[in-house]
Amino acid sequence: METTKTLINYTHRQAGHCESGATSNLFKHNGLELSEPMAFGIGNGLYFSYIPFLKIQFAPMISFRNLPNTVFKRSAAYLGIDATVVKKIKEPKEAMEMLDRNLEMGIPTGCQVGVFQLTFFPPEYRMHYNMHNLVVFGKEGNMYHVSDTVMEHPQLITYDDLLRVRYAKGAFAPQGKMYWINHAIDKPIDLKPAIILGIKKTVNEMIGIPFPLVGVKGLRWMARDLKKWPKKHGNDKTSFYLGQILRMAEDFGTGGAGFRYIYGAFLKEAGELFDHHQELLEASDMMGKTANKWREFTYIGARNCKNRSKPEEDYGTLSEKLLEIAAGEEKVYQKLKKIKF
Amino acid sequence: MANAANEVTDKSNSDNELIYTYNRELFYHFDKEKGFTQKVEYQNPNNQVIIKQSWDAAEQRLDEVKQKVIIGKSSPVAYYMEKILMEVPMLAAYMEISSWRVKRHLKSRVFKKLKPETLQKYAGIFGITVEELVKPEFMR
Repeated sequence: METTKTLINYTHRQAGHCESGATSNLFKHNGLELSEPMAFGIGNGLYFSYIPFLKIQFAPMISFRNLPNTVFKRSAAYLGIDATVVKKIKEPKEAMEMLDRNLEMGIPTGCQVGVFQLTFFPPEYRMHYNMHNLVVFGKEGNMYHVSDTVMEHPQLITYDDLLRVRYAKGAFAPQGKMYWINHAIDKPIDLKPAIILGIKKTVNEMIGIPFPLVGVKGLRWMARDLKKWPKKHGNDKTSFYLGQILRMAEDFGTGGAGFRYIYGAFLKEAGELFDHHQELLEASDMMGKTANKWREFTYIGARNCKNRSKPEEDYGTLSEKLLEIAAGEEKVYQKLKKIKF
Repeated sequence: MANAANEVTDKSNSDNELIYTYNRELFYHFDKEKGFTQKVEYQNPNNQVIIKQSWDAAEQRLDEVKQKVIIGKSSPVAYYMEKILMEVPMLAAYMEISSWRVKRHLKSRVFKKLKPETLQKYAGIFGITVEELVKPEFMR
């Protein structure tokens, strides 16, 4: 095979969350200065659901994020940008050919991948987690250049390895999903309408859905369950469950505190864009404080995990902390809901 | 850096050792005066403890399965499945057969009767040879 080389002039930037980072980088590449928090806020990165009767990796399913690809799809839709999302490609080879064609045309392309077999990924994160995103921006012979926002630098991955991670199986299997922006964005784009749409949608998802396991209600439900676990499952299992909550909250895509920081930064940016909108800036401050509370929660929780036999802090305290967080967050969403733009 | 985060690092100074230092990531912080800031750093020690806990739990599960395989209660498929952190539905998806069949293959009685092709496919998924699958290292 002859070695062909295509390398798109794409800037790799690290980000707090894989998908909003990929989205922001793709937009920036196409000429729209959209920061990561902006992409995260407009694209509804913030979400919560708790499904105790579904077990994933031996613990109740907790999700701090929306379905994969929501951030990219919604931010493109709300901003009115021509983007393509190919949800599912049956034949792995075809999916790779499509990727190659895109690269030849000079289009950096985002892919959903599973991290378990992602060769360059930090070993400690390599669990079966299928909602990771990266951007492929070049090909050299058998190697692909990829930009993964978790990593400090751009990485190389072989054809076979990339194919494998794009077709990882399990919950939320990527099935070769890929997405890209069709044209360079040449006309100026007004972010304001998109911001309003994004805030409304997030507020609705966090406090508006009349189902007890989603949003702030889900958070409360989880807090109440947490208190019951030691009696129901014993200390060992509770400690493991708690560890899973914390891992979901802090490590996989930085769900708990991390997301609140990003969302707070989004509200701040939005507030400045709306001529120093007082209420938005206040909401941003409140969000930052809740995020700090999340961090404290993880801290207490981690200490609890460490001394499994004799928990320093009672699970009741943790549960109360979580309820406090839920109350704090609810206030932010209610404030946002009342804002008239 | 955020106030709370600062406190956190101060308090846990005695056992502040980093376990994982493969890659630095970007983290956001919030401080009342400075507002929102970004910083590239290693995952903080508290979170690393949590990650380690889940790996320890996985190791423990693997040990339990290993004992079951040694006494002949489970098949080596159960062991290797645990080793790559899979669960039955996921393994079934990779095998392209239904879950209940994979579940049967976890019994050593059924495992002994498996066809060579099936064994080959399992071995391919686990990244080992058929001999290793039939007779794991710890049983030699």
